[in-house]
Amino acid sequence: MSDQSESLFHALSDSVVGMDEDRTRQLSLQAVNQGVDALSAIEHGLVDGMNRAGKFFETEEYFIPELLLCSDAMYVGLDILRPHLKQSENQVRHKIVMGVVEGDTHDIGKNLVKIMLEASGFEIVDLGRDIPPQRFVDEAVKVQASVIALSTLMTTTMDGMAEVIQLLHQANLRGRFKVIVGGGPISQSFASRIGADGYAAGAPAAVKLVKQLVGVAA
Amino acid sequence: MKRDHLTPAERFAAYQRGEPLDRLPCVPIVGNTAARVVGVKVSAFRGNGRLIADAQIAAYRRFGYDVIRIFTDLYTQAEAMGAKIHYPADETAYLAAPAITSVEEIASLQPADPRRDGNLPQHLEAMERTLQAVGQEVSVNGALTGPFTTASFLIGTEQLVRLTLKNPAAVHQLCEVACQGALVYAGAILDTGCTPSLTDAMCSTTVISPRQFKEFGQPYLQRLVDFIHGRGRSVTLHICGKTAPIWEAMADTGADCLSIDNAADLETAKLKVGHRVRLMGNVAPSEIMLQGTPAQVREAVRACIRKAGNNPKGLVVASGCSLPVETPFANIDAMLDAVREIGWPIRREALN
Repeated sequence: MSDQSESLFHALSDSVVGMDEDRTRQLSLQAVNQGVDALSAIEHGLVDGMNRAGKFFETEEYFIPELLLCSDAMYVGLDILRPHLKQSENQVRHKIVMGVVEGDTHDIGKNLVKIMLEASGFEIVDLGRDIPPQRFVDEAVKVQASVIALSTLMTTTMDGMAEVIQLLHQANLRGRFKVIVGGGPISQSFASRIGADGYAAGAPAAVKLVKQLVGVAA
Repeated sequence: MKRDHLTPAERFAAYQRGEPLDRLPCVPIVGNTAARVVGVKVSAFRGNGRLIADAQIAAYRRFGYDVIRIFTDLYTQAEAMGAKIHYPADETAYLAAPAITSVEEIASLQPADPRRDGNLPQHLEAMERTLQAVGQEVSVNGALTGPFTTASFLIGTEQLVRLTLKNPAAVHQLCEVACQGALVYAGAILDTGCTPSLTDAMCSTTVISPRQFKEFGQPYLQRLVDFIHGRGRSVTLHICGKTAPIWEAMADTGADCLSIDNAADLETAKLKVGHRVRLMGNVAPSEIMLQGTPAQVREAVRACIRKAGNNPKGLVVASGCSLPVETPFANIDAMLDAVREIGWPIRREALN
C-alpha cells in the first residue's frame, strides 16, 4: 500500500480510538474520494482502531463509555466504506445469533460483545433482550448461524441458558451450533455444567473464544 | 449447631467497642429469597408492605443473621419517578423502559414523593412493620439506590454512559434530580426509625472509569452520606462488580462500611482502606451461594476471614451482593454456621 493510504489508515484508526465521529466520517469520505481500497481502510483503519480500543478496555484505560463512543465512530466509518467493498469481498461470514435471555434487560455487556465481534468480521444477528429460549434456536436455524451467544446479568435467567441447549438437543441440532455464554453471574463451571461450548469473561475474550470455536485465525 | 449468645444489636455494639463477643457479624444479603421462606411468589411483594415485612422477619428468624435489609430490587426509586418496571410472576423485577428517552425530557423529571409515588409507601410500611417487630434486637436497613444508578434507570444505561463523555452537564442534571429524590426518601426511611443503606451498582469500574465515578458518583453519594450522618446513623455503601480503583474515593464519601463484591479482593481492600472503613463481603452470590455446596460456602467464609478478619475497622462476613432468589437455605445456614465455628476472637485452627 502507498504511504499516503497508510497514513490515512493510521488517521482512521486514531479517530476511532479518539472517539471522534466527525473526524472518522471525514476521513472515510476522503478514502472513498481518493479511491483508496475500502476493505483495507476498514481493516487497517476502523477495525484496527476498534481493536486498540478493546486493548485499552482490557487494561482498564478505557471503560464502557469510551468503548461505546469508539464503536459509534467505527460504525459511522463502516456505513460510508462498506458500500464500496468489491462484490467478492462480501464473502460469506460466520453468523452469530446473540441476545439477552428472557427475564433480563441488562444489555450493555451483550452490546460490547457484539461490537467487538463485528469489528472482527463476524456477522451478528442481534435478537435484543428478554429473549425466550426457543427464539434463539429458531433464529439460529433460520440464518444458518455458526454460534449462539447468550448473555445475562441476572441469576434468575441462567436457567434459560440451559434451556436453549436442551432445546437444541431435543431438536437434534446441538452439533450444528456452538453455544457460548457470558455475563455477571456466569462462570466457566456453570458453562461446563450446562454443556455450553465456551464462556468468556469479557468482550475481547469473547472474540478470542469465538475465533477458536469456529476455527478462524486470531 | 452452636447457638448465638448475643442479639445482632448487642453483637454490633460489642464489636464496635472492642468487647468480647460470640462471633463476627454475618449478613447473607437476603432480598427476594425471603419469598421462599414464607412460600409466596416474588411478585406478591409488589405493593404489599405487610408481606415484605412478614417475609423479612421470618427470614431473619429462620437464619439468625445480623442486618435486615428491606429490599426487593434497585428500581423502587426510579419507578416512583416514572421508569417502567416489569414484574415477572416469580422472579426479581427488571427495567422494562426508562422514564425518559431524551436529554430534553430531563427537566420534566421530579423527585418522587415517598408517601405517594410508586411502591415507595409500601417499602416504608415494610420498614416500619419490621422495625416494630424486631427492631429491638436487630438493625433494620432500608435499601437506597444511589443517584447515578437511578439516573441510569431514568434515561437508560447506554445513553447515560454515552452522555458522561458527550454531555456531562446533562448527566449532572439527571443525578441531581435523582439525588434530590434519594434525599427525600432517605429522610422518610430515617423517619421510620430505619437506616438507609446505599447501593450504587452502576458506579462500578466494570462500567465507568474511576474519574467518572469521582465526577458523577462520589459527590452525590457524599451528600447522601452527610445527610444520613446528620441524622446520627452510620452508612454502608455497596457498589457491585469491580471497585478496587475507587475504594479510596468510596471511603471519601464518608461511608462507614464498604460492601465489596466478589469481583474484588477483600485482602487488598483491607490493605488499602481497612484503616478507614469497615468491610463487608464477599462470598460469590451466584457461583458459591446459589450453585455451590455448603462445604464450598464454608470454605469461602474461611477465606473471607483469613483475608480480612483482622481488618482494622472490622469485617462483616457477607455475600458479595444480594442473594439470588433460589439460594438454597442450606447454603445460607452454612454461611452462619461457619462464622459461628470460627468465633471471636478468631479460632485460628477453625480457619484452615
